[in-house]
Amino acid sequence: MTKPGMNRRTLLKAGAGAAGLAMLGAAGPALAADKRIRMYWWGGKERADRTIATNKLYMQANAGTNIDGETLAWGDYWPRLATQTAGRNAPDVIQMDYRYIFEYARREALLPLDQFVGKSLNLGDFSQAAIDSGKVDGKIYGISLGGNTAATLYDRVAFETAGVKAPDFDTSWADLAKLSVELAKASKKPGYYGVMDAGGLESVLECWLRTRGQELYTPDGKLGFGEKDITEWFAYWADLRKAGGCVTPDLQALDKQAPENNMLTLGKAAIGFAHSNQLVAYQALNKSKLNLTSYPTGGAGGKPGQYLKPSMLFSISARTKEPEEAAKILSYYVNDIDAGKALGVERGVPASSTVLKAVMPDLDELGKAAAEYVGAMSSRVGALPPPPPPGAGEIQVLIRRINEQVGFGRASVADGAKQFVTEATTILGRG
Amino acid sequence: MTIAATTAEVKGTAWMRGFRRNLAGYLFLLPWLVGFLGLTLGPALGSLYLSFTDFDLLRDPRWAGAANYVRIFTADPKFAESMHVTFVYVVLSVPLKLTFALMVALLLNRGMAGLSLYRAMFYLPSLLGASVAIAVLWRQLFAGNGLVNQVILMVFGIQGPSWISNPDYALYTLVILSIWQFGSPMIIFLAGLRQIPQDMYEAASIDGASKWRKFYKITLPMLTPVIFFNAVVQTIEAFKAFTPAFIISEGTGGPIDSTLFYTLYLYQEAFGYFRMGYAAALAWVLVAIVALFTAFSFLTSRYWVHYDE
Repeated sequence: MTKPGMNRRTLLKAGAGAAGLAMLGAAGPALAADKRIRMYWWGGKERADRTIATNKLYMQANAGTNIDGETLAWGDYWPRLATQTAGRNAPDVIQMDYRYIFEYARREALLPLDQFVGKSLNLGDFSQAAIDSGKVDGKIYGISLGGNTAATLYDRVAFETAGVKAPDFDTSWADLAKLSVELAKASKKPGYYGVMDAGGLESVLECWLRTRGQELYTPDGKLGFGEKDITEWFAYWADLRKAGGCVTPDLQALDKQAPENNMLTLGKAAIGFAHSNQLVAYQALNKSKLNLTSYPTGGAGGKPGQYLKPSMLFSISARTKEPEEAAKILSYYVNDIDAGKALGVERGVPASSTVLKAVMPDLDELGKAAAEYVGAMSSRVGALPPPPPPGAGEIQVLIRRINEQVGFGRASVADGAKQFVTEATTILGRG
Repeated sequence: MTIAATTAEVKGTAWMRGFRRNLAGYLFLLPWLVGFLGLTLGPALGSLYLSFTDFDLLRDPRWAGAANYVRIFTADPKFAESMHVTFVYVVLSVPLKLTFALMVALLLNRGMAGLSLYRAMFYLPSLLGASVAIAVLWRQLFAGNGLVNQVILMVFGIQGPSWISNPDYALYTLVILSIWQFGSPMIIFLAGLRQIPQDMYEAASIDGASKWRKFYKITLPMLTPVIFFNAVVQTIEAFKAFTPAFIISEGTGGPIDSTLFYTLYLYQEAFGYFRMGYAAALAWVLVAIVALFTAFSFLTSRYWVHYDE
């Protein structure tokens, strides 16, 4: 009887000792760091590594500040941010997207940053356009972490072996259709096509509309195009499907708009549509050599379809306890040379010209290609589109569904277009 | 008076004794009880309140009366669409799964060697069933150049379609996934089969009854309480199914909403578009539908379920 008792007591003591040690361990950094900042971003491992390294540099230079990083994939990121914001527990520094910044800013979840500009937040090297890209209703709510623009990615080897001319800056929509069919025929691989079926992809539709001088949405939040336009759009892809230029609908349905299930990565098509900063991620998943160029143009008389946009922004929670420190961190991210080197162009091309110049020589081949592409595009892009209205997320899904209905033969092009306009109008009316 | 006092005292002490005797039990129950009240009942009532509001998570909920419910039944085509998908799934998967489970249970009940091993093996898929890993595995099996199509190509020489990304077949791959998870009803069937008195079969054998006749006249009627139990539990489970559709369609319910389970639609409304109030109303409609189904099952059960009296 004594032995087990002894054991239990020794165990208890050991446990208490361990707990005490753990408390000591926790107390150390907690005492040293009186400012704790929570930073939250979406992205993969590459981004996490670079961000954590940058935070370490900041903490070394600023004793007394501790930055805790939290990261999730895009799909899980927004539900959790919304839940935390609702629970009055939002992170201090929040990675924002152009689609969501309006909703968060207008619901007073973000801090206006104008008060810090020129003090703790230095935007001296930012162009006016770069500053404006983080504005909502005239106030700054987000700081651009890098610019990007839409990019056509293609398998260079596939085009070389097939002897078909690869797409370039002057390729029009009509050219794209032609060269896709040519490549599919020349490649002689069954189940291999020229291009992904982008009829359901909002970003590609937007560019196509803009080359025609239209927009997805008007500034007052209505559809920026009519039934006739969307009929033409769905018909373009229906024709390309019939001609064997783009992938079949059951293949395209596997694409969930992530690099790992893009038709290019799955080896089903030679051309995919993405964004310039994603070149690094795509190349990591593709065995074949990739190259990037612009989205197709409107041909003679066409307007610029693309625009430069902040691929990601940093915002500050309206409820942060350390607004000054958070603003200082933002400033560090966009101005410090060491931070710029650690971050590279993984989030996009830095908005500060000084940082870009300092970072360029250290970039690897892919980073250089992406940065040079954005540089080359800057003279070919149009203005930023009006902010997406509430319901834009639903319409993005709707475009995909209608394109699938047409692709699988469940609806004719005309019926699909009519249904699209009806449903989209309902969604926008509901808000 | 003294007598009354003593009885009261005795009663009191008896009650006390009873309480003290059960105290340990209540204490052990406490973690569950706290969890049930705080984590299940509380939030459930909270969601009932939210179902009458407009709530986007960022701003405070605004009272909307019955507007959400009115919209569900009058102006929401996706409600009908997702209900249809869920009903097809329930109506196909529950009977097929139960039949399959009963067949395997009958097979295992013949007293073969290594029964417990087989039982464990057949039960395994049910343990894994709701998991993300299995749904991912399913996606790989039924994709364009997945294992299923490779086998078809080898045996029949035909290139099969991409089952999971084709609106004609996607839902049925989910039904097959559900049937494959027949383990838990099978275990219950097996226990039920064990309870049927052997002398009934012996008497029937003496009377010259065939195997089929014994099955129809003894096994099935004696098993009806277990069938009933399994049917109710599996129906509720099928209505609630979410993970397989979510993983296989990556949350889209596609292609063309062919795998848009009701729960998935609810999830999209809540976490895709932040219409928490509307999603809460959708959830309570589902609760009502499942409750109706269960009540209906219990009402009809008296006509076909035979309890051993």
